[in-house]
Parts: sequence; C-alpha cells; structure tokens
Amino acid sequence: MKLVADSGLWSTGPPVAAGPLVAVLEVSGAVLAWPIDESGPASITFTDLARADWLWRVLGEPGHSALAAAVNERLPHDAQTIDVTGVAVLPGSVDQLRRLALGHWMRRWWPVSQRDGIAALDGALVDAEIALLTAAAQHFFADDTIDSDVAGLLAPHTAALNAHVQGGDPRVVELVRAASELTDDVGIVLAEPAPTRRRDDYALAAGADRGQRAAGAIARGTDSIRWAGVPPAVFDAAENTIEWVVEAATPVANVVVDVQLSGDDSPSGIPVRLRSGLLSGAAVLDDRGQARFGLIDDQRQPVAESTAWNHDWEGTEVTVGADVDESPETRLRVRDFARARLAAPAGDAYLAEILAAESDY
Amino acid sequence: MTTGARAETATAVMRPRQAVIDGAWRAIGPGVELLSSDDGGPLRRTIKRIIDPLVLRLRSNTQYSAPFVDAAVASAIHELILGNGPALCAAAAWFEALKRERRRLRITTGNAQELYFPVCFELAVTRGAPSDADSDAATTVLRGIHDDRDRTAIEVLNQFVSDQQVVAKLSEQLRHSWRDVRAGTEITGPFLSGLTTVLGPAESHRESVARQRVWSALIADPTPYNLGANAHDATTSLPWSIVDLGLSSVEPQQSPTVVGGSAGDRPLNRCVVDRVRATLRRALDRDELPDVPLLCAEEVDRSCAPWGLLAEDNQAALIAGIEIAMDLAPLADVVPRYHLASLIQARLRKEAYVMHARRYLAEGGPIHPRQQQVIDDLSAFARPYLSRLWARLHGRDVWQEPCADVDDVRSLLEGVARSVSLDHRQRIKSMLQVAG
Repeated sequence: MKLVADSGLWSTGPPVAAGPLVAVLEVSGAVLAWPIDESGPASITFTDLARADWLWRVLGEPGHSALAAAVNERLPHDAQTIDVTGVAVLPGSVDQLRRLALGHWMRRWWPVSQRDGIAALDGALVDAEIALLTAAAQHFFADDTIDSDVAGLLAPHTAALNAHVQGGDPRVVELVRAASELTDDVGIVLAEPAPTRRRDDYALAAGADRGQRAAGAIARGTDSIRWAGVPPAVFDAAENTIEWVVEAATPVANVVVDVQLSGDDSPSGIPVRLRSGLLSGAAVLDDRGQARFGLIDDQRQPVAESTAWNHDWEGTEVTVGADVDESPETRLRVRDFARARLAAPAGDAYLAEILAAESDY
Repeated sequence: MTTGARAETATAVMRPRQAVIDGAWRAIGPGVELLSSDDGGPLRRTIKRIIDPLVLRLRSNTQYSAPFVDAAVASAIHELILGNGPALCAAAAWFEALKRERRRLRITTGNAQELYFPVCFELAVTRGAPSDADSDAATTVLRGIHDDRDRTAIEVLNQFVSDQQVVAKLSEQLRHSWRDVRAGTEITGPFLSGLTTVLGPAESHRESVARQRVWSALIADPTPYNLGANAHDATTSLPWSIVDLGLSSVEPQQSPTVVGGSAGDRPLNRCVVDRVRATLRRALDRDELPDVPLLCAEEVDRSCAPWGLLAEDNQAALIAGIEIAMDLAPLADVVPRYHLASLIQARLRKEAYVMHARRYLAEGGPIHPRQQQVIDDLSAFARPYLSRLWARLHGRDVWQEPCADVDDVRSLLEGVARSVSLDHRQRIKSMLQVAG
C-alpha cells in the first residue's frame, strides 16, 4: 500500500473531487470515497490515524500495525509518499461501508426527474436502511461523526415508517420492524401515521398561469441547474429545466424565470441570476420556482425595453443557486448510473431502489 | 521521498488493542450476545462503557490504553476479559432485564446501552445473574437512572444563593480576590516560543521526551498567569483581543458578579452561580455530590483567577488553545504556524469536503441562503473553539484533573476541534432541513 498526500493528510488513493459523482463516508479517524459508477478500491484519507482503531478490520492486524508505525506523526507534504510494503485492503472488508456511502449519496444526489422519467426513492426507507447499516457498522464509529447519527436518521420518519407497515409489503414490514428495534434503543417512539403534504397539489396550481407569458417575448431560452449549487429535493434533475423569458414591458424590460420542480422541498429563497453580455439581473425564486426581475446594464442602470429589443441574447446564462463549475456530462453520467440501478437492481441495491424499479414500468 | 520499510520490522510484535479485545471477547463464548454486534464482537458501547472503564480500568491501568500493545500486555488484556466472562454474561442478562423493564415502564429517553451498560456490570459483580425475584431491583435501578439526578444538586444551589446574606458574603470575597490578582513583570517570549515545540511534531521517542520536558517547564512559567491578569486591566499588553477570541464581551475583562448572568454570556463574563451550575450538570457521572457552599466559595476565587482557572497547567493549556484557534478556518485555505494546528486544519478541510460532497455546502459557501449565519460562525472558528475548550478546562480545574501530560493536552486540543466541527456541521445540515 502506498500513502500519498491529500491536502495535508495521508490517503491511500488518488484524491476524489467532491461532486455528484462521489460517494463518501466519514468514519472515526478517516473519510472514505468512491466514484459511484466505477468499481475500484476506496480512497481512504486518514483525518486521525490514532482514532481509526478499526483499521485492523480492513488491513489485518499486521497491516494496521505496520501502517501506524510507518506514518508515525509525519505530516504529509505535497510530493511525499510512504510505501507500506505487503499491506493491502482485505477483500470485502469495506463493502458494507461502500454500500453505506452509496446510501448517503442517494439521499443527496439521486436524480429524480419527471421529465427524464427517473423515479424518486422513498426517503423514509432509504434512511431506515442507512440507519440499520450504520448500526451494523458501529465499530467504525467509535467517535461520533457526521454519519454516525442513527437517531437523527430515524427521527423524522416515525410517521412514514408506521404508514409503510400498514402497506403490508413483507420486505418493507421487515425493514421497519428491524428499524423499530433500533428506535427502541436510541429513544425514539414510532408515531401514528399522519397525512403528508404532496407536491402535486401546488404543482398543478403553478401550471395554471404558466404559458400566459408567451405574448410579448423579446427573447427566450433555457439553461440547466448545476446540482452542486442547489440543495437536493427541490428541482427536476433533467437538463434545460430553467426557462427564461425577457418580456416586453414599459418602461423597463423584465425577465421571468421558471424552473421545473421535483421534490418535497421549497425553492423559495434560492437565488437566480441572469447574465447576458453587459446586461444582468438577479432575484430569488418564490415557492413555485419562479422569479420576475428587472435587468440592469454595466452602469447599474435599468434596461429600457428598446435596449432589450436591440440586445443580442445569444449566450445568455441563467444560474440558479450558488455559482459552481459542473459539466452537463457529469449530470449525464449520474442519470445513466441511476437508470442502470433501476433497470437492473444490483446486489447492493437498497430496498427503496428495488421498490422504485418495480413501480417504474 | 519514500520511507517506511524500516519502521515495519520494529513493530512486528505489536498488536492493535481493539483487535486484542475483540479476540478475547469472542473467546468468552455464548451468553454475551446482548452486548455483542451481529458479527460476534463486542459492541462499541460495550467497550466504551464496560470493558475500558470497568474491566480493564484504564484510569489506573494505563498500560492497557495504548493503541498498540506488545505480547505481554495483549495476553494480560485477554486474561482479564476472559476472567470476567461470567460477570459479563450476567451483565448481558441484566441488560435484558432492564430493557424489558424499560419497555414496561414506557421509558424512551436516552440511549439504553449508553445509560444501562455500566450499571448492568455493577449489578452482575455485586449480585450475579438476575433471578426472577430481581424485577424489583430492575425497577429501582431504572428509576434511579431516569430520575433527574442533577436537579437535586441544582435545587440546593438555588436555595443557597437565594439567601441575600450568602450573596453579600460571596460578593465581598469576590472583591478581595479580584483585587489580589496582579500580573508580574516576567517576559512572555520564552513561553510562546516554547509552544512551538509543544505544538510541534515528535517523530522519535527522544523528541517525545523533549516535548514533554518543554511542556513541564511551560506549566511552571508565569506567562499564562500574567497574561490572564493583564486581561483584567492593561489589555494593550495582550497579544490577542479577548473580545475577538470570544472569551469576553468587553475589554478589559470586568470582575464577574455572583448572581445575575444571562444565557449568552461569554466564558469570562459568566456569573459565579452559572459556573457552579455548569459544574453540577457535568457532575452527573460522579458518585460524590460536591458540597455546594464550598463549591461556590471556590468558584469565586476561580472566577477571579487569570482566565477564570486556578491551576497553572490549565491556564497554560488555554494559552496553547488560543494559539491553535487563531490558525483554524474550516472554509478557507490558511497556513497555520504550528504543526498541530496544520493537522487540525487539514482535518477541518476534509470535513468541509464531506459537506461539499454531500451537497450540504457549495464549494466554500452556503448552498442555501438560510445557512449564511452558520457559515459566518464557521469563519470565526476560534470563538466556539475557545468557548468549548474553556468549559473543558473549567471542568478539569474544578475536579483538579491535571493538564501536565503533553499528549493529554494535545488530544484535548484536537478533541475540542472535532466536537466543535461536528456541532457546526450538524447545524449546517439542519439549516437546510428547516422547511423554507
């Protein structure tokens, strides 16, 4: 095994850039990372080797001792490496951790899209299964980490899990039964099912005045959401879901932005910006994923309707959320990955994936 | 540069301590399933709450606490655990009894393993395995655990300080104590340069010994005392602003009061009664309940002492913490001055990476405007870091736990960063989950 420097820490593998394509898990003393759609070893970065007291389970006893002795408080500098000869990750020893990391990835990045037909995963079931896997992997969480909080995973779902039991699917019942044994230990009571608010209600309402703005358009176009710049469970994960229209209005030109939604969380308050040459404008989305705002020029003066008619709108960019660099290819790979998982659930599939696949025909 | 092969041969006989414990546990055989994980090893909490404190008794048997142990220590650990096999089986049976009782009494607060494991082992040692007649015992034990233990002591405190004469007497004591704290004239340079060694690396045994020697000298140095005493009046001679550090809301530090604090008070501004109340809350795990009038009188002197701490080693540890804290910024690329700070900063950066990879943060900033407040807090990491460090040192000061061991101090400085970071990140997470 060869240790390389990863921003001041020792790591077993090449650094994996954060983003939609990486599944990570934070255990006691280390962060593990895998590219979601490639098989290969974990990249294990040691945040605190002394606290990674589980390492013998992964490297074997001699491997753990040898690695600890070789590192011995050395602070890694850029090009430095440490060879620990004869030490390797034992086959299968991190499989459950990878599965756990993938579950956490699904909670945050699963590309739900009505437009592209990628079904949502049941959040309560994903979280219940992550909670069970976390409890089973408790040796890796001697310290509390951002990923060790079993109670935090289960607490928001007590009503939903109860409701699932009444649905009667034996696989679901078994999962909920196992999870409820955990809730007993960590001090959570499963609650009575309560009716949940559905997004469809106001998606329909929002649709009513869409399209009315077609008249008087000076320019229109689309752009795509950069997933890493927005929270999950708000926007549809397809491309070109940001529709923008520059409206003819007196005395100044207005922009109307309308973003396709998908998920339970509100887009309200998320910033939106339009840039087109020297013209720009910014606002925040309302709870229907829409915004209307005036444009200004490079002198920060309002843009008159006549200026807008003469402007070249080619190359207009609309950004929703934080400004991040993310290629369409990245998102395409994630959608392909999700489709492949739904088309043929893998051996490490979560129950929520299997159920989504079954309902998706 | 490539190194490593040399170190390997030197440690061929050392075994990871956790592996030794795991092996011994499996050798016990059936009967401890309730304290075991599905794969048959001991639960993490079994180790933390039973094996380490009650079977291996790490506090007195420090040789069992090293992360790697030689063959002799390994076999001693093995024998000790195996020898406690019958007691551990009985403890597992008690846990089952307590859990049954928990369900019957419809108790849902707290983590059952965390709360019950130690008492199960104590019951096992004193009474053996539970019999059918022991269900009363289980009820009593549960009631004892779940009754609000700190309430009693805090009520005693409230009653004590509701007496105007008591408060007047403590206030008088406080006036004198505050007046008596005076800075000496010694120079601070040697102390601060000594910190470079204490917070520096030690790759060999010799360097570790040297690091300890420097720390032993530093805790006898008058600098921490003088700096803390200077904070009371001549703020200009401090290398930092105690307001910026979040230790006080005003400069110079004002004499604390006996009563009349409010919830958001910075550590050095807290009133005496609030400090004692914090002590009583933290005293949950202690068997002996402290004498409240004595605690109050002592806390008056402590609150006047430099940095609000009586022991010189604790004062020195706080200065080390201040120096570390100045170097930490989870969301920025900074170059710390100390080796230990570099290490902690690298960890914080990695933890921020996890948040980024999980879509809780966009690169270096909020992923939703709702998070802005927490993000701003993160950029002032020193403030929560020092608040928490001060609270830990205050606890050590009250219980007279020494800070003389340099590795102990270093792991304290690291542990505080870990818990502040986790706390921050949980807040960033929950800011996203709040319905918009």
